[in-house]
Amino acid sequence: MAGKRRFNYKTKEGLQGYLFILPWIIGFIVFTAGPLLFSFAASFTNYNVTSQMDFIGLSNYEKLFSGDQLFWTSLYNTLYYVLFSVPLTTAGAILLSALLNRDIPGMRLFRTIYYLPAVLSGVGVYLLWMQLLEPGTGMVNTVLAWFGIQGPNWLFDPEWTKPALIFMKLWSVGGGMLLYLASMQGISKSLYEAAEIDGANAWQQFTRITIPMITPVIFFDIVTSLIGGFQIFQEAYVMSNGEGGPVNSMLFYNLYMWQKAFEAFDMGYAMAMSWILFVIVFALTIVNLKLAPKWVHYEGGGK
Amino acid sequence: MKRFKWVPVLLILMLVLSGCNGFTKGGSGAEEVEAEGDKVTLDFWTFWGSEIRRPIIEQIIEDFNNSQDEIEVKHTFIPWGDIWTKELAAIAAGDPPDVVINDINATALRGKNQQAENLSKYLEEDDISGDFYEELWNATLYEGDSYGIPFNTDTRVLFYNKDAFEEAGLDPEQPPKTWDELREYADKLDVKNGDKYERIGFYPLFGVGTDVWMMNADNVNFIDENSEVQVNTPAKLQTLEWLKSWHDKYGENNINSWKAQMESQQANPFFSGDLAMLVQQPTFYTQIRDYAPDLNFGVALLPEKEPGNGHTSWGGGFVAEIPYGAENPDASWEFIKYLTGKEAQEYWAVKNFDNVANVEASESAASSDEFDDNGKMVYELAVEAMPQTMLTPVPLAAPDFTTLVNPEFDNVYLGKKTPEQAMKDAQAAVEKLIEQNAN
Repeated sequence: MAGKRRFNYKTKEGLQGYLFILPWIIGFIVFTAGPLLFSFAASFTNYNVTSQMDFIGLSNYEKLFSGDQLFWTSLYNTLYYVLFSVPLTTAGAILLSALLNRDIPGMRLFRTIYYLPAVLSGVGVYLLWMQLLEPGTGMVNTVLAWFGIQGPNWLFDPEWTKPALIFMKLWSVGGGMLLYLASMQGISKSLYEAAEIDGANAWQQFTRITIPMITPVIFFDIVTSLIGGFQIFQEAYVMSNGEGGPVNSMLFYNLYMWQKAFEAFDMGYAMAMSWILFVIVFALTIVNLKLAPKWVHYEGGGK
Repeated sequence: MKRFKWVPVLLILMLVLSGCNGFTKGGSGAEEVEAEGDKVTLDFWTFWGSEIRRPIIEQIIEDFNNSQDEIEVKHTFIPWGDIWTKELAAIAAGDPPDVVINDINATALRGKNQQAENLSKYLEEDDISGDFYEELWNATLYEGDSYGIPFNTDTRVLFYNKDAFEEAGLDPEQPPKTWDELREYADKLDVKNGDKYERIGFYPLFGVGTDVWMMNADNVNFIDENSEVQVNTPAKLQTLEWLKSWHDKYGENNINSWKAQMESQQANPFFSGDLAMLVQQPTFYTQIRDYAPDLNFGVALLPEKEPGNGHTSWGGGFVAEIPYGAENPDASWEFIKYLTGKEAQEYWAVKNFDNVANVEASESAASSDEFDDNGKMVYELAVEAMPQTMLTPVPLAAPDFTTLVNPEFDNVYLGKKTPEQAMKDAQAAVEKLIEQNAN
């Protein structure tokens, strides 16, 4: 034990702490930070994975902004999707959890039923929805027809492909619901009792107590689903056969990036695209964090 | 307690080390190609995992393994969606498989990007280029060198319902030969009840896309071999106008409802007689055989735009290639030669009812005793169509140009653009992409 006195207690504890998180640090450096930096560097090259990697300056970025019509199409499609799907799924999840946060018999069953779609995921669900959304024989249009509504051509009509995807996403609000439900059950009953004594009705209780009390979860949900929304890929890849659907209406940002990377093998260009997306998402998240203190209520009040 | 204080550190070290072990395992490809005795082991990647295809390719591999005692091939099935991205990663990591089945249309692009090995040194010793259909062979060339050997292929032919022909007063032995006849026959074959169709005679975009008819009319790809953009050509524009007229004839709703039925295999309206003619791959016959064995049908070459224009059809296919940096290219070449040789090709053709790249195998499969009469009829016609079948290899100047062209066709069918405008815009967009890629 020669080195017994080399470190004082604090340094030693610190070192041990680092030692404990070493597996994560190594993983982060090797599998996240490394590729991240590599992709940043390679976005200034004509990297194609196998044979070339020459520095070409800002040329990739220049091309993206000045001449690539599909870059703007894909960005528009993605923004459209995020703009509608994030508020809708958030509102949907809150409403649903408010409904499921009641004491009536059989509630567990309902909760399970509504949560179930969130458990199912991936390609199987998309294929299922492609059948449901079939214009002629699909369930969705059949049900609409019962009410005398002539359903749209969903995945074949460029005006309806994105709404169709958003509609599909709403089906699985159960995942968000679970978070809200947990948070709603944590709200102290005394608040509601006090409100009741003061004569507040159910709507007032919902807007003045429930919503403010769950704002931290709403905030979390908005931030994560915003980031998730920008990464939409699988749905469009499966439902349009990797091609982007009618009139490129399902050509989302990540799908276009994938095409550039793995069909045209223009990996440098795709990496430049990924950095632009990173900047957009990063900026939006910063804005979110800056706005948060104005509406997010943390119990205890202290920050 | 003092003596236990290094226990957590040891545990962590173990974790870290076991993590590192993952690296060494993946990194040493040499182990995988380990010699069993003197044998070289090859890793062969395909996406043929279905219960029909897998046993056939594995039988071919077994036959090869038994035919000599120097090379042992192992089959690795990787799903369609993953195989080529995985291969790319493996090549970049310097540890690729030994032989891979890949898309024929992008072979030149892979050659250019050094994803596949140049095969010309083997071909100099052993020129097998003449064994394959010319169009297929040419698709494997980059700057005159081949980067993959054609394995299987396909084409598009016209299936028609003979009973429906007789019902409509048409000669069932005289399928339509030109676009005009196609329209004339379709009008006769349509059965309408008020506004609703009970039978659709023919709709050109069931089964194939706009591009196939454009190749049929123009015989030139969207970007020719000199990187000239050939999108807005008179023949292609006329094709789009012609297709639009079909779209208007039947209307969006009828087309969608028929298309939906077509997607579920058993309920294909061609089987029930609700669709009288349909363009499909020859392998469509196996579906007829399985789901509608009593259907009285015939097959014909794709009709030509006008007499003398040529019954040009369109196809794709796959090559067997050696990924760049593979460990034992000589052994890989031996296996590829076997795969694309007459014996293996004929076996594949007959068992799968699939078109193969080897001309001799293709022709002798057509007279195979394993096919029934209908099977023979379809296969013979497919072999006849092969020399007139065009491939549309990925143009090196703009590999992903289709994302720019297809939406313009969609715009026409949706009534958002005139065919003239759409073709003009598509031409301009592709020209711009090529110009950008050149910088």
